[in-house]
Amino acid sequence: MAQFTAEIFQNEFLPDGGTDVHAIVRVTCRGAGQAGQTGLTDAAEIIIVDTSGSMGESGIVQGRNAATAALNEITDGTWFAVIAGNHVGTLVFPYPGGPQQMVRMDQSTRQAAIASMQSFRADGGTAMGTWLTKAREVFATVPQASQRHAILLTDGANEHETPDQLTRSIHDATGVFQCDCRGLGDRWQVDEVRRIASALLGTVDLIPAPQAMAAEFQSLVRKSMARGVANVELRVWTPQGAQTLFVKQVAPNLEDLTSRRTVVNPLTAGYPTGAWADESRDYHVAVRLSAKSVGQEQLAARVQVALGDEVQTQALVKATWSNDEALTTRIDDQVARYTGKAELAQMIQDGLAAKAAGRDDDATSKLGRAVQLANEAGDQEMTSRLRKVVDIDNAETGTVRLKKGVDRLDEMALDTASTKTTRVRK
Amino acid sequence: MTAPTCPNCGAERIPGATFCEACAFEFTDVLPDDTDATTAGPPDGGVAPAQSFPGAVPVEAAATPVTAPRGEESPLDVGWTGPVASDTGSDAAANGAAAATGEGAACRQCSDGHYLDGYCDTCGAKQPDPRDHYIEEPAPWVAGVCDIGRRHRRNEDALALAADTASGSFAALVVCDGVSNSTDSHVASLAAVRAARDVLRKPLPQGVGTKSSIVAAAEQRLADAVAAAEEAVAITTREAGEEAVESPPSCTFVAVLVAEDTAVSGNVGDSRAYWLPDADTSSALQLSVDDSFAAAQMNAGVPRKEAESSTGAHAITRWLGVDHPEDGAPHTREVDLSEDGWVLVCSDGLWNYCSDASDLQRLVHETVERLGDAGRNPLALAQALTDFANESGGADNVTVALARVGETHTVEAPETTKGTP
Repeated sequence: MAQFTAEIFQNEFLPDGGTDVHAIVRVTCRGAGQAGQTGLTDAAEIIIVDTSGSMGESGIVQGRNAATAALNEITDGTWFAVIAGNHVGTLVFPYPGGPQQMVRMDQSTRQAAIASMQSFRADGGTAMGTWLTKAREVFATVPQASQRHAILLTDGANEHETPDQLTRSIHDATGVFQCDCRGLGDRWQVDEVRRIASALLGTVDLIPAPQAMAAEFQSLVRKSMARGVANVELRVWTPQGAQTLFVKQVAPNLEDLTSRRTVVNPLTAGYPTGAWADESRDYHVAVRLSAKSVGQEQLAARVQVALGDEVQTQALVKATWSNDEALTTRIDDQVARYTGKAELAQMIQDGLAAKAAGRDDDATSKLGRAVQLANEAGDQEMTSRLRKVVDIDNAETGTVRLKKGVDRLDEMALDTASTKTTRVRK
Repeated sequence: MTAPTCPNCGAERIPGATFCEACAFEFTDVLPDDTDATTAGPPDGGVAPAQSFPGAVPVEAAATPVTAPRGEESPLDVGWTGPVASDTGSDAAANGAAAATGEGAACRQCSDGHYLDGYCDTCGAKQPDPRDHYIEEPAPWVAGVCDIGRRHRRNEDALALAADTASGSFAALVVCDGVSNSTDSHVASLAAVRAARDVLRKPLPQGVGTKSSIVAAAEQRLADAVAAAEEAVAITTREAGEEAVESPPSCTFVAVLVAEDTAVSGNVGDSRAYWLPDADTSSALQLSVDDSFAAAQMNAGVPRKEAESSTGAHAITRWLGVDHPEDGAPHTREVDLSEDGWVLVCSDGLWNYCSDASDLQRLVHETVERLGDAGRNPLALAQALTDFANESGGADNVTVALARVGETHTVEAPETTKGTP
């Protein structure tokens, strides 16, 4: 049985009149086991491969290789299916028209699935909403598998349905299955795919060249199979009258959970976090209290991890009002780091969006601020990614010039990397 | 700089000492304690590594636990956990302390909530620790209050009382003040007072008719109580394990044993016992003798106010603990309780704000007058004196225990549950 622990990093001291409490909660899961192997629930996995015309013959071959690599990683006994996506989502395996839309993985179903992908042809457009809808329908045929995960590969923009149609499909799939998304090449839209991954508790990343796909798919499925604990909920209790300013996952990647709030009880909100492997995730919780008199202490939040109705662990976020500036002006290292990270990600995304929209002044100032933040944080990797998009005159002041003729892949890599966070031990 | 030497034997003099460590020659002056590192407790309230001294203990300030640092507070000491009921009626005081405080108990801050994990499940208010404020009232004429004060985050004082119903017949009042920043000193002090009280409440040998024999028996009993308290602290130390190696738990000790209209005090450290007669014309007495750097200075002629407010004034020179000085015998003194008055036993949390016996006598008289009838109720007066200390700053934990000699105001109250830390 999985064991969850939660620890808090915060400065609990607030100045006289202070109201906002910030804390980083590190949740760690141990003994997660393997997906579908814990006896609590079955696991189901769907591989969604882009087969639109833009993939081309070589792209199709690489896509098939990647899907094969993925199928090889799926643990025997896991329910699975393969969907081909272009302007419609089509179930490729199990063979359509058969008695089942998902089957359990074993030696023969694996071989049959691999064989079925010979039928892939590069043809048609791209309507990812239809792929998600098909996956949702297929998952629904195996209700006993409540741990559901999909991998979505795309190489193009969502041109064959309206943004509203995609939004509706994402909305319907939210909470039904998790989805990690990968974009191949430079013709897909990072923000569009991020929308899918983010809502479906997955990750988004760039695969620059088709040859890298197989390794990426293999790793994605391996990670998914290592998640033995499904449907983990983060819960945040706040005192009566308090306001939760935000709840963000800040590691291993940035994800604002605030809008995913569900009501557990009048004082407790729940935030779905999907399935867990043996891993740690950090959350930034910010709560606004009404100020109390100096010397008073109170609880600002109880942060809990719940499986179903059972709370597995809890950590306490506190507030103590003090006159001592040496105490109240200190910002916890972890809070500071992740606050900086979140601003950096925002600046990069906003800057790239401004650049794409032709608002060069705005883009220059946002990306300049990003350079400054990355420099302050000593984030070498991000600085070197930014350097491919802007010429840096002065990193300390954030003085930059937009580069001419930037490789679009570099921009996309910067965009997808912006939300990844590396953890530094305290 | 040449170190000053003893005029009698030439041995090096220790700053703050009132007599020579080598030849016991009494000095007429005291070296100023300008060498902070060796003469005073650290200003942050930390405890210098304590050590035992061989032989009789001169006033040696080198390794001195500090019960109430005057200087800056440690970062841990900035908070206090809530107001103490200022209602001086003993009903309110008793009920306040008796309110249920366990898990699941109703929150005292908001109307809806209950304590769950040390905090309210509705408003998040911190659950008061019953150790932070408790009372004891073993008989209508004997009562005490032990309170965290306003500045400390932990109550390291402890109080334990015992008494027979008849006024003046038998009472034991014990107060220990845990040494700041030593490991688990709040646990040690509580264990110490209880162990001492249990020794003191055993009846004195019957038929010891003469006053001198009562005093002798009481003095022996006080020495036994110190030994029992010492053992309780040692047990706490063992239970604290590794953590206690650096700064083992330790505390002061003061107790008064009242038997057959005689009070005998015994003390180690700087917690105090006083006899405060009702009559203004009768002299108030401090029964205890401080084992402190301030007392050493006063012995050397430094005025009380100056001595007690100097840096390191609260450095104590004797204490209970595994690292205590060799001479552990309590200072004892008896007083005849033939006239009406109060026996007062307290920690420095009170006497910080009113030290001199005659000042304290005046404070008690004024407070009794202000309270009217209730003023002659020991619990009401103890709470009022605790409030006085808190209103004066509450810089340290405050413990006040009283035994009333003479007319006692009895509060008509239902059976009250005593605070149980």
